[in-house]
Amino acid sequence: MALTRRAALLGSAAAALAPALTITSGWAAAPAAGKQAPGFYRYKVGDVEVTVITDGVIRMKLPETFVSNVKVDEVKAALADAHMSTELFNNTYTPVVLNTGGKLVLIDTGVGEGGFNASKGTAGQFLNNLAAAGLKPEMIDTVVISHYHGDHMNGLIKADGAITFPNAEILVPAREHAFWMDDGEMSRAPAGRMQELFKNNRRVFAGEVMKRLRTYEWDKEVVPGLLAVGTPGHSSGHTSHVLSSGSAKVYIQADVTHVPYLFARHPGWHAFYDQIPDMAEATRRKVYDMLAAEKMMVQGFHYPFPANAYIEKTSTGYHETMVPWNAAI
Amino acid sequence: MTEFTRREWLGSSAATAAALSLGLAPSPLRAAAPATGKQAPGFYRSKLGDYELTQVADGARTFPMPEGFIVNLPKDQALAAAEGAYMPKGQVTIPFNPLVVNTGSKLIVIDTGNGLGAFEATKGAAGQMNANMKAAGIDPNAVDIVLISHFHGDHIGGLKGADGKPVFPNAEIKVPAAEWAFWTDDANQAKANGFNKAQFAGAKKNLDGLGDKITKFEAGKEVAPGITSIATPGHTPGHVSFVIASGNARILVQSDVTNIPSLFLTHPDWQVVFDNDPALAVTTRHKFFDMAAAEKAAIIGYHFSFPAVGHVEKDGSGYRLVPAAWNPTI
Repeated sequence: MALTRRAALLGSAAAALAPALTITSGWAAAPAAGKQAPGFYRYKVGDVEVTVITDGVIRMKLPETFVSNVKVDEVKAALADAHMSTELFNNTYTPVVLNTGGKLVLIDTGVGEGGFNASKGTAGQFLNNLAAAGLKPEMIDTVVISHYHGDHMNGLIKADGAITFPNAEILVPAREHAFWMDDGEMSRAPAGRMQELFKNNRRVFAGEVMKRLRTYEWDKEVVPGLLAVGTPGHSSGHTSHVLSSGSAKVYIQADVTHVPYLFARHPGWHAFYDQIPDMAEATRRKVYDMLAAEKMMVQGFHYPFPANAYIEKTSTGYHETMVPWNAAI
Repeated sequence: MTEFTRREWLGSSAATAAALSLGLAPSPLRAAAPATGKQAPGFYRSKLGDYELTQVADGARTFPMPEGFIVNLPKDQALAAAEGAYMPKGQVTIPFNPLVVNTGSKLIVIDTGNGLGAFEATKGAAGQMNANMKAAGIDPNAVDIVLISHFHGDHIGGLKGADGKPVFPNAEIKVPAAEWAFWTDDANQAKANGFNKAQFAGAKKNLDGLGDKITKFEAGKEVAPGITSIATPGHTPGHVSFVIASGNARILVQSDVTNIPSLFLTHPDWQVVFDNDPALAVTTRHKFFDMAAAEKAAIIGYHFSFPAVGHVEKDGSGYRLVPAAWNPTI
């Protein structure tokens, strides 16, 4: 009888005698892994190695007012066009780590350990994926914050309030910091989201975080090769960063747009998250016109991982072309 | 404020609080972190009904665009199209993406990548499937079935290791009967030249000695639990695609109905040099993608960018790929 796997599976005597069958691991059905691949991705910008790290996703029921100036049906139609769920909105978060001259610079933190616990691990994956990328929180030299929304800076501290990156200096946009630390602004903040943001920012920007904090100005380098560019509107001091090395550049936009399949395609749509919607739109158009004209790569915090794209102008807005995954950097 | 410029924003920011003084200075003595120079493991998981799919990247080849790469298009236009698709100037990048399906009872590989020989020859750019399977925790010994879409080297090159031994020693290797008939016919081989000539030699080398593991299937039949083959000839005479279905969920595995989507999906009438019967390949392409677009079917494409899954839509006289958004949880 021919020695086949079928015979082996049937437990025939002939099969049992075959020495090859002493390897039994192959016979049982392989269990499903049930786990996504580690969520990091690398690319080079000149001499700088960029590690994109996903912080995961929070799925929420699409609010009726998600886009303040169009009907929710239009939003649902755009989601359907993107083959995304029209009921649940997928909010993904994508910090980046730059290795520039041996220094590790993190831009934005994700929702943090608190967010991990609250979402049961769908979000707040940053530290796990950082470890998968072979990096440790204590290796981070500098944390650069784009703006003071929880998904960008709550990860500065852990669930118990201890600092997450014990050796890092924390660099924040001066204008953003001034706004959220201003008691007058806080007293004038409308109830609901804005007041909650003030409360959260006063919670995180305290204690050890403040001891390590330094403000930076727009149009200056935050660290060598990383230029801070004012892109206000999403928040009053919202800041993007242009990383340059040699002739290579990437525009690390933070939240100039939220998900591209809604807000790059429709730059006139005002996301629920935009603090000063008209200014956010003007900023968005200006930045995206520049990205399209210069064919400059963009790294978008709320783009689908690895969140790296080129932008083209269309008759109604912009279209993003995701940069093809590079299997060997 | 009616109009504002970066300068104005900067100007108004001058009124903000002066930079806070630095508290704890980070220790200057810590060692510099070396760049890793290594990409993340190339695998990606998704659920399809009760099945678990794992896309396993085999890597990519980037090479100067050869003369006649797009048979029916002047080279300057082909180069312009490639550059418009953000490829390195003068070059083409073709990625390779085999698939592993875990049905819960069977572990099935669809196409095998370029193989370990190619890994060495390309200095690791292609032939990564083995390493990425390992990263995904998939043991080649545990694979029950290997399905082959067609006999080009980038699809069957991974059947055997550099030592000539089967990479999937416990697997039944199932191949399209029409494909087998074409590539094992000496008369066909004698007539072959150019790209095809090399593929005949490659098929012989890649399949030699595997005879007792190989079975042939007719297109249109279920070839593994929940997996049905579809005849999509033209790229090669016996080329097949697959439908995977579990519960209400299904996905199309197109294989090479189109090569890289940024050129050949957007321009389905362009003929890539690898198409054996270009006119038939064009017809098949239109038929397949008209159907896929109408059905709004999810599609896996062997030469799509990793993770190589998305939807196809009609766009003027061609089609466009909407890549699926990476799902951080499954």
